[in-house]
Amino acid sequence: MNEKVHFLTRPELHTPTMVVGWTMDAGRLGRRVTDYLVRKLGGQAFCEIEPADFFPLNGVAIVNDIVFFPESRFYACPEKDLVVFLSTPPSYEWYQFLSLILDVAQDYCHVREIYTVGSMIAMGAHTARRQFFSTMGSPELKMELSRYDLTRETDFETPPGGRPTLNSFFLWVAKRRGIPSANLWIPIPFYLVSADDPEAYRGVLDFLSDRLNLGFDLADLDEQAGLQNERIMKGLTTYGQHSRKLIVSSVSWSVA
Amino acid sequence: MGWAVGIILHSEPELEQPDMIVGWPGIGNIGVLTVDTLRQQIEAEELGEIEPWDYFYPNKVIIRGSVLHDLEFPTSKFYYKRLANRDLLLFIGEEQPSGHGRMYAEGGKAYEMANRVLDVAEKFGCRRIYTSGAAVALTHHSLRSRVWAVATEKRLLAEMKGYANTLLMSEVEGRGDVGNITGLNGLLIGVAKKRGFEGVCLMGEIPDYLSRVPFPYPKASQSVLEMLAAILGVEVDMSALSDMTAQMEGVINNVFRQFPSEVRDRIDQRRREAQPGMITEEDEKWIKEHIDDFFHREDGDKGQ
Repeated sequence: MNEKVHFLTRPELHTPTMVVGWTMDAGRLGRRVTDYLVRKLGGQAFCEIEPADFFPLNGVAIVNDIVFFPESRFYACPEKDLVVFLSTPPSYEWYQFLSLILDVAQDYCHVREIYTVGSMIAMGAHTARRQFFSTMGSPELKMELSRYDLTRETDFETPPGGRPTLNSFFLWVAKRRGIPSANLWIPIPFYLVSADDPEAYRGVLDFLSDRLNLGFDLADLDEQAGLQNERIMKGLTTYGQHSRKLIVSSVSWSVA
Repeated sequence: MGWAVGIILHSEPELEQPDMIVGWPGIGNIGVLTVDTLRQQIEAEELGEIEPWDYFYPNKVIIRGSVLHDLEFPTSKFYYKRLANRDLLLFIGEEQPSGHGRMYAEGGKAYEMANRVLDVAEKFGCRRIYTSGAAVALTHHSLRSRVWAVATEKRLLAEMKGYANTLLMSEVEGRGDVGNITGLNGLLIGVAKKRGFEGVCLMGEIPDYLSRVPFPYPKASQSVLEMLAAILGVEVDMSALSDMTAQMEGVINNVFRQFPSEVRDRIDQRRREAQPGMITEEDEKWIKEHIDDFFHREDGDKGQ
């Protein structure tokens, strides 16, 4: 394949589904969903995209004494015929980067459908039900997925001066290649942007489990969500409505 | 119809050694406004485009009923027109392919884009390429913008100097004989030279204090377009640009009034020191309005 793609192994896959997540999104949704899938399904990394053309490799980021280096990795979960892709969002050359993902997905994996995971920052509270605001690549897929309550009949145009998201670009490139794809957008309360939001990734994993027959019971996530809700409520009682900063850091510390 | 990698041509008209005129956005949007006004005036037809996704990030997503309807990118389009005395190709880029968050194109992407434009020029037998852009100058916004010219060979410079209101970059007061043209409006001429095309870059003057202001400067576009019209031997109605200039004048004056008075005085001095012999638009208007007064006064004086 392309020299920018590096295969570690060559797992056997049969028209799998692919789930795509990005690190650094609100509520750590992409990382939490993909980590959960890989961990529960025993996924193994099998392929990487080389970072040189896509990231500013002018040093390395350190967060809490930990080195962070861009990662763009495919994982195979052959038992459930699933491919997971987790990546740092590229800084440059989006089209080339997305094309490489889809080269692997299409030419090597022969994927049948792709779901990207994305979080939207919302004004709603953590107690509100997390409704999907997904975008489908085609009316056919929308019809096929209609029983999952993924869409809200959204009409949207990027306002002047704005830019479409990486997920929208991905969906467009996948659509041009004829791959059935959907962006699974889910709202994250604004005060949980830099924390975890187990309620949100539970929603995404619940859909994926049902759609792909993964058999997750998700009780562990229910417990996490319950714990987090308790902490938020405790924080609100103790510090009042204006102490969101403390609450968020408390939630972040306890769940991370 | 497909033609070459990354270029889509809708038709392949027979053109006889057309000139190509190119514009990308830049300071004051002078180049792109010039070429787009010319395109409208001569009613040039769309010829094709460069596929955008390798060069640009999308600028708009359109979702209808939760289904992705379209993703839009900045366009890079070719146009053509058969004029009475020559054929023309036009190219208008909505954005410069800026790498790594920079304002102007540079490096591999810019070079690639320049070559795609020249691939089309070559295909249609083009010999000469014109680009246009901004010349940041120590001038005043009430003065007429002059046009600075640079070219790929001396013979062309001599030709350009023959047009009114034009000077060579080296003739600009205090500039010396070295300079630089930033972005694709400059790079294209360099690549054109490398590939054996004749190339000319025409730059309309914009006052230095307006060069970072994010609005167009149609006065300079008008000067460049007047020169292009003379070169091409076409009649171009300048009223749209004149109207735009008049509108912008109000905006610029508002900005100018907010400058500290010492700065304003210093800038106004430029107007007073405008080269002897140079008649500004304002002078011209004033003279037209008052010329009769002079004669009447002279008559009156004689009578006393």
